[in-house]
Amino acid sequence: MMKILLIKYEHLLLTLVCFFTLTVASAQSVTVAGKISDAAGESLPGVNILVKGTTTGTATDMDGNYSITVPDAQATLVFTSIGFKTQEVVVGNQTTINLVMADDAKALDEVVIVAYGTQNKRNVTGAVQTVNAGELKDQPVGQITQKLQGKLAGVQITQNTGIPGQGMTVRVRGSASISAGSDPLYVVDGFPLQGSISNINPDEIETITILKDASSTSLYGSRAANGVVLITTKRAKAGASRFSFNYFTGIQVIPEKGRPDMMNAREFAQFKKEVAIERGQTVPDVFANPEQYGEGTDWFDAVTRDAIIKNYSLTYSASGEKFSTSVVAGYLKNEGVLLNSSYDRISVRINTDYKLNDKIKIGFNVAPTYSSSKTPQSDGIWYNSPSIVQSAMLSSPLAPYINADGSIPLNISSEYGTPDAPNWYNQVKIVKNTSKNVGLLSNGFVEIKPIKDLTFKSMIGVDLGNTVSDYFYPSTAGSIFNPPNANDPSRISASHSNQYAYSWLFENTLTYAKSIGDHNFDILGGYTTQAAHSESGSLSGRGFPDDRVQTLNAATIITGSTDVQDWSLASLVARVNYNYKDKYLFSASIRRDGSSRFGSDNKWGNFPSVSAGWVITEESFIPENNVLSFLKLRTSLGTTGNNNIGNYLQYANVVPTNNPFNNQLLNGSSIAGLNNTELGWETSELFDAGIDANFFNDRIKLSYGYYKKTTDNLLYSVDIPIASGFFNYTTNIGKIEFWGHEFQLTTINLNGDFKWSTDFNISFNRNKALELGTANSAIYGDMTITQVGQPLGQLYGLVWDGIYETQAEFDASPKHQGAEVGSVKYKDINGDGEITNDTKDQTVLGNTAPKYNYGFTNTVSYKNFDLSVVCQGAYGNKIINTADRFTGNLDGSFNVQKDLANRWKSEEDPGNGKWGKASGNTGPERDWASSKWMYDGSYLTIKNITLGYSFSSINVDYLKGLRIYASVQQAAVFTKYPGGNPEVSAGAGLFSGVDNTTYPVPRTWTFGLNYNF
Amino acid sequence: MKIKIFSTLIAALILSSCSEDFLTQYPETVVSAETFYKTEADFRQAVIGAYVPLRNIYGTGLADYGAWAMGEMRSDNTAFIYNAANRGYADREYIDQFIDDSNGGGVSNKYQNDYIIIGRVNQILKTIDAADFDQPQKDNYKGQALFLRAFAYFDLVQYFGDVPLVLTPPTTYDETTVGQSPKAQIYEQILLDAAQAATLLPNKASQEAGFVANGAAYTLLGNANIVLQRWADAEAALLNVQGYSLLADYAAIYDPNNKNHAESIFEIQYYDLPTANSASNFAYNFLPILQNPGVIPGFPDGNTNAYAGWNTPTPDLLAAYEAGDLRKAASVGFYTGEGYVDIPYIKKYVHGSEIAPNTNDDWPVYRYAEVLLFLAEAANEQGKPEALTYLNMVHANPRTGLAPIAAAGQAELRDLIQQERRIELAFENKRWLDLVRTDKALQVMNAQGENIRNNPQAYYYPAGITPPGYAVTAKHLLFPIPQREIRINPLLVQNTGY
Repeated sequence: MMKILLIKYEHLLLTLVCFFTLTVASAQSVTVAGKISDAAGESLPGVNILVKGTTTGTATDMDGNYSITVPDAQATLVFTSIGFKTQEVVVGNQTTINLVMADDAKALDEVVIVAYGTQNKRNVTGAVQTVNAGELKDQPVGQITQKLQGKLAGVQITQNTGIPGQGMTVRVRGSASISAGSDPLYVVDGFPLQGSISNINPDEIETITILKDASSTSLYGSRAANGVVLITTKRAKAGASRFSFNYFTGIQVIPEKGRPDMMNAREFAQFKKEVAIERGQTVPDVFANPEQYGEGTDWFDAVTRDAIIKNYSLTYSASGEKFSTSVVAGYLKNEGVLLNSSYDRISVRINTDYKLNDKIKIGFNVAPTYSSSKTPQSDGIWYNSPSIVQSAMLSSPLAPYINADGSIPLNISSEYGTPDAPNWYNQVKIVKNTSKNVGLLSNGFVEIKPIKDLTFKSMIGVDLGNTVSDYFYPSTAGSIFNPPNANDPSRISASHSNQYAYSWLFENTLTYAKSIGDHNFDILGGYTTQAAHSESGSLSGRGFPDDRVQTLNAATIITGSTDVQDWSLASLVARVNYNYKDKYLFSASIRRDGSSRFGSDNKWGNFPSVSAGWVITEESFIPENNVLSFLKLRTSLGTTGNNNIGNYLQYANVVPTNNPFNNQLLNGSSIAGLNNTELGWETSELFDAGIDANFFNDRIKLSYGYYKKTTDNLLYSVDIPIASGFFNYTTNIGKIEFWGHEFQLTTINLNGDFKWSTDFNISFNRNKALELGTANSAIYGDMTITQVGQPLGQLYGLVWDGIYETQAEFDASPKHQGAEVGSVKYKDINGDGEITNDTKDQTVLGNTAPKYNYGFTNTVSYKNFDLSVVCQGAYGNKIINTADRFTGNLDGSFNVQKDLANRWKSEEDPGNGKWGKASGNTGPERDWASSKWMYDGSYLTIKNITLGYSFSSINVDYLKGLRIYASVQQAAVFTKYPGGNPEVSAGAGLFSGVDNTTYPVPRTWTFGLNYNF
Repeated sequence: MKIKIFSTLIAALILSSCSEDFLTQYPETVVSAETFYKTEADFRQAVIGAYVPLRNIYGTGLADYGAWAMGEMRSDNTAFIYNAANRGYADREYIDQFIDDSNGGGVSNKYQNDYIIIGRVNQILKTIDAADFDQPQKDNYKGQALFLRAFAYFDLVQYFGDVPLVLTPPTTYDETTVGQSPKAQIYEQILLDAAQAATLLPNKASQEAGFVANGAAYTLLGNANIVLQRWADAEAALLNVQGYSLLADYAAIYDPNNKNHAESIFEIQYYDLPTANSASNFAYNFLPILQNPGVIPGFPDGNTNAYAGWNTPTPDLLAAYEAGDLRKAASVGFYTGEGYVDIPYIKKYVHGSEIAPNTNDDWPVYRYAEVLLFLAEAANEQGKPEALTYLNMVHANPRTGLAPIAAAGQAELRDLIQQERRIELAFENKRWLDLVRTDKALQVMNAQGENIRNNPQAYYYPAGITPPGYAVTAKHLLFPIPQREIRINPLLVQNTGY
């Protein structure tokens, strides 16, 4: 404690001294300025310039210009930049020094972040891909994962819903589990996070590294099976202080494509009229003259809007000999395109490093965030607590959402032809669903080099979070069939919940790097412990007198519960990297993990890996040539685990099951599951092989990887027969195999004034279930099945076979109960002459995993203009659009797709063969899941187009660089899928491919600027 | 070498000091099973917990899958009001229309909750003998557990036929998959459990109100023997049902202010205290679909019951009431308004509501009137003359307003007893099983199906809707095993025809 205090004051003092000397120095100095460019004549931003032997330094601006004050003419300037040879120039009497930086032949010596350290890229033997945040800066979105779409080979990033601040799914190499999590482990500056990274301001991020194979991930042991995402945040770089301001503002608009194609008022009235006539019912007056109506209410339009997004980000960094700091402050304001939805985030990150002396360095990172969101219940099927998007779509276009006199009706009356329901335009605004989160991610480390080549690093970190959520459901809210009633306060409900959580980490590592002749060693050993705790409480209230007081204070009946969760993990890590002449590369690593999540008989697990690489171009038999500039073969083998199953599952618990007797509630208790003392990790064995090849002086870089992963002991809450008294049993059961190929191609197509480079990646991911349960019994989702020998989570149901169009067809075909001419027809798969909605006639309908995923980015620049286009696509997967069940409802209960005008009406007027008749037994067409609702989910999305212009020759003190840009996010989606979002429900593992209608993903038009002081 | 020593040292220091404690985390918010099933209080709580699934079986929630759907609406007593606006509840209709399949919510609800009871009871029976507390209390809890197990298996075997017979809780995954046992074996277990329960349980006077007493166990034993047509055994068991009497007012049987009354042998306990989360909702489900159920006296305004219209008395049942039978007015209500003209609805469970849609009505399972009718049936089948006496104790009780039935032959009396059961026990989930066990189901239901097809609007279908189904065959005498079980348990065989 004392020591920490001392260090604190010392650093303050030193800062003051530094400041002072800098000020003094500038009094007797010479100023040198110039422009730095590369061999192609392109100006180079970010070149570090240091006065040799001092800490005085600066860096070039966006246009390669710099200006530095040196103490005297004897001073030497050192110019450094990654990928270029370092140059030194004596100032002499020059005041302008323009330089052309020469490419460094060892440009591949780029350093990449790996588990518990860094490594030269050329020596990496695992499957690792790094993205520098600079490449992503222009995309006008709030989450870093959105910016990564289309950029990474073998990593599928999909946006499942458009809810602001939510909905991104990241799957490394198609990872999936039955019920354990499939998200990768996120590690921010060495700290493994508990949850997602959506609360991190993307502007704080320096690099993102994805670790895919065993050799790169096995040091994260029992949490590594889904891949690891390492994030480093911005630290100050050597050089002068920098100040930059980034801003964008834009408008989000829901594209025309993907909107539901529902009937307008006239068409709906016509439909209702025809249905009544076909059934022999009296046509209600309101539908008797459809021609009197026009478009009516478009309910999708009524509950959505064009919404503003704004982002401000201010970065300051300063670096001195001893002390350097970087501060990023950000504010994101993201209104949602659904009314009353928003996500706001305020974040600050301060990363500070302090060099006590040559041997000791300490650092602190502190990153508080505050976010608040308003999230109307938007996604899902209408009958699951009124999900607004689908509910609104299904409402009658005859009903007004605003009356002619400007007043807002409370209800959609059943007189308009759809069931009594709330006015969704009102509902979306009056139901309160807010959440506020305060988070703090903070860590501190000390790095000591007691002797040459040996580094000891100790780190402590904490991830704190507190979330408060409030919900209020007034009497004026409702759902389909349950319309509002302002006079019935018993409808009112409210809830308030609070979750407080933290996780801490204590980690100590030793690294020893040594070269003996041509033998290079790098050895790591360490131990790490992490524990997490969360407490949450939830209160809900009923019995409100009216809608005025929206907190629980006004509730007369309040019920509540609390929850406490803990887990802990203790681990040892070790790794040896060895290479001979940077030519033959070897690496071996191991992690030993102990976890509180597993049964007493299975607490500890070992996760080893080995890998090797061969840099063929280092061999003397490959002569220096202009074609092949680099060639490496690499392979790895290892084991990782997945412990992502929640806490306490190994224990059978006794839960309260109270029951009343004679108007008295008595305490009851029941056992809620079976014990499993052997519950253990999910273990994945991974094999990986790859080639990295560069051609024509690295103008073409090609990387290919093959992987095969076998996941065994799948953690699964397996369905068991209820005759056991329980529905499921958590155990390690089943085996899945994943394999695939991935390619990454980076080319510089044009160089010179007009530059054009392309990044292209494509990955082919496959999987197969090898074992499931003891009896290999299939695993069913709502409309999916996973069977042994087949890919995971295939769509499953009846095979739709059109309509019994004629009596002759009807007589000749197998039938289901209640079938008639004009009703829906399915295939009799088991050939028993009868169609039944069960396993006898249900079958696999299609695969939910794409045959391949791909992405490409084109970057073009000409003089001061730059243009980039990012695309992402997937091919060959199928999606079931469950909205079809309701928008194709023949009962006349809902508004329907325009296409229902083409339904079967008689043998003479059979329509387009897609829809049965509206009279008779409509149940089997409405309720039986079938291939009728299934569509091709292939898509190609232009994720982002950005056009920028950098102002040159601005050389004012307060403005070192200015760039303005315009950007379109989600510019265009090319797909045959008729639902709102082809990325929906990807990455849901065994239960992917089912679209239950989600918040629309908007197109965003923005204008932004980068301003450097 | 130096490094190795250093790191080993650190590792040893950290991991040895705390690893086992550090890596052991028990849940704080629940009790671990290892420490439970020890004390008298534990077993009391466990027994109470075993009653909970009964509420699900008899129905909780809106448009629920309560026992009424398979027990009453399947029969000729009740139908439903076709809900043209909301087709989402159609699988309840399928039960009435005989086009139900293994995906239906009704079969899942019954099958699953019966087995949850059995699972909970098996845990009690496995551990109670080893526990150390007073024998009388132990007998009481054990008796209740055995009664509940017999009751659940009786429910299962009557609706599903052959089912898995599980009598001890599984301890491993492999033990959780069990195949079906033949009906006869299930019945033997039911008889064994019910008989043992009857000897262990105290009588009604010394039992806590709402918990089963030995009268319930004897009634169950009698009922099972009736189904098995072991008339003498049935009679012997039923004669042991002592300490009960018929209420003077038929309507009072169902009054929630009068729970667990002198006639009640076993009723499912509900409670409308909002924080108790155990209210019933039958009344709301059984009313016609109304914009405002507040038009029925006792119900608050608002909260349309658009999910309702279930278990609606059929014209056939209304016609079956004898003129002057006072029970009709207590059993069936009529409503005119909102487009309905004299639409009938079940009135037995209509007692208003404090907070919609929660009601305080219990569900009567066994009451003494049924014991008397069982005795009448058992006596009649054995040709004993007291059959008529038992029948008239119910039929001509002053509460019915009817005159005694004069002497009749055995066959005639057989029909009269069934007729009496139909009226006295209307809407108490007896009718379908009575039709099945008396071999009348196919004939009665096909005849009614004919009527429905010929005149759908008399059975509450709107004009223009053609009712599907109502073709009743032998397969319909049992229900299908739920699809979930067929999928995950390869040892199960689906009932014939499904």
